[in-house]
Amino acid sequence: MIEVSHLTKTYMTHERGHTLREIAANLIRRPMKEVQAVKDISFTVEQGEMVAFLGPNGAGKSTTLKMLTGVLHPTSGEVRALGLTPWKQRSEYVRRIGAVFGQKSQLLWDIPPVDAFYMNKAIYGVPEREYAQTLDRLTTLLDVGDVMRKPTRQLSLGERMKCEFIMAMLHGPELVFLDEPTIGLDVIAKENIRDFIKDMNRQGVTFILTTHDLDDVELLAERVIVINHGEIVFDDGLNVLRGRLGEKKAVRLTTDLPLPDESMPGVTLLKRIHDSEAELEIDTDILPLKHFIRQFNETYGIRDMSIEPLPIEAVMKELYIGSPLS
Amino acid sequence: MKGVFACIASVLRTKVAEQMAYRSHFFLSVILLVAGDLLVPMITLLVYRSGASFPGWSLHEALLIQGVFGLAKGIAFPIFFGMVGSTLSLVREGTFDLLLLKPRPALFMTMLNGLDPEDFGRLLSGGVLFGYALSGLPAPKFNGWIQFAGLFLASLAVLCAFSLLLSGLLFRWVGSSRVYDIFDSVTSFGMYPGTIYAKSFQQLMTYVIPVGIIAFVPASALLGRAGWETAGAGAAAALFLIAGIVYWHRMLRGYTSAGG
Repeated sequence: MIEVSHLTKTYMTHERGHTLREIAANLIRRPMKEVQAVKDISFTVEQGEMVAFLGPNGAGKSTTLKMLTGVLHPTSGEVRALGLTPWKQRSEYVRRIGAVFGQKSQLLWDIPPVDAFYMNKAIYGVPEREYAQTLDRLTTLLDVGDVMRKPTRQLSLGERMKCEFIMAMLHGPELVFLDEPTIGLDVIAKENIRDFIKDMNRQGVTFILTTHDLDDVELLAERVIVINHGEIVFDDGLNVLRGRLGEKKAVRLTTDLPLPDESMPGVTLLKRIHDSEAELEIDTDILPLKHFIRQFNETYGIRDMSIEPLPIEAVMKELYIGSPLS
Repeated sequence: MKGVFACIASVLRTKVAEQMAYRSHFFLSVILLVAGDLLVPMITLLVYRSGASFPGWSLHEALLIQGVFGLAKGIAFPIFFGMVGSTLSLVREGTFDLLLLKPRPALFMTMLNGLDPEDFGRLLSGGVLFGYALSGLPAPKFNGWIQFAGLFLASLAVLCAFSLLLSGLLFRWVGSSRVYDIFDSVTSFGMYPGTIYAKSFQQLMTYVIPVGIIAFVPASALLGRAGWETAGAGAAAALFLIAGIVYWHRMLRGYTSAGG
């Protein structure tokens, strides 16, 4: 469905100073600086996949997505998506894709979402009957029957986001780009949106998801692509991502005697809560769990303990600041 | 073509609905626009009342130029000129991306986004002034009307080209609202009889930066003062429009979006 080959994007930016002297100098001469936002990346996405495209701020993921949606022209490289080159056959291509931006609204602030839907119907040339059927199906799925007739400015963020999804799905896209789709939403609204995405994915819609909310990744994505400094540093399944950094566990421990401040082989102190309560990271490749429990029980006396897989945040943090893994 | 008209109708309907959300703002804006557009004709009136004049032009003839200017703005501003404002804000915010995600030509989407029903108020002031000016003049001949109609289209083409040039400039000159000042300064030369300027400047105003085509040339046709040499002005307007379209698309290629 998407084939990205040696995609590169370089752009020039002004180097601006912040002191008064530098600002004055910039009035006369502004030095230019070349920024390589995306460096020779290649990957493919199959139809029906749900791929999380992750990376720290400024890593190049938004630039990549803008090239995949046909908004930006690359400096070099190829993209074939739905059999088309996005920036060359933009009109034909965008007719078949959808996009939802958590921080950029496609709705119109002062009028009800249904008016904006109707405007999109005309722009996409959706036949009246097909429009009515799709709108009916989507409003039922997202439960926004009454909501979409109120002015957008009177809607809650969750209601607005549901309407953003309707706006993006009305023309029946085969491929949908989601950029922070659950940002700022409460637990219930997040769950509704995630259920909707899963439902659409089951119906064959391919999703490319960009987010900093790792719950979205864990609950939605099957595959993760991580980009950092413009390069792909990881591209595989979510379980493989967890396993790449070894068999680590997060342990919260309460003991009879105070716990030591210093780490020991296979044990890293993550957070000290009290003298005898702490969160530890255990590398079970170095210190098997049964040995850790026996050793700590004998030395400090375990009163309470919880063991969980290392949170994905920890894996991502190491990936963002560490060296490329694959 | 049917789809294009459906888009325009749907967007116009939505824009009117948006304006109606704040009716007092809408009506106040229309009144202020009309008042603003009548300012130059009022000065012209005062100039003539004080005994001064534009040499060779009666009061009603001079007001006819300004009436044609108002009519042209009354059509071009709600339809084309809004794209300058929408480019200004959308490029600065990085939301121009949303227009590029629609399956229509980028220029058409920008124009749709900039449709501004509020500006139709200018048509009212232009129409009133045009009617008032004509009431004090001998009735134009049929040929004059035909020639005027063709040159009025050329006038709209020039205003459209200006919109494209200013909008295109904003892809590089991000967030600069000074483009409106540029437009007002340059086009203000077109609100007066071209004959008050030097011959070389008249040529410049007709064939290079054709602000004279916005009002002076069409009004001259209606007054029976223009001959077939106005065909050259029509060609200049067409070339100016083509240059505007090419320039806009070239500048769009340099659009870099905003950080995400």
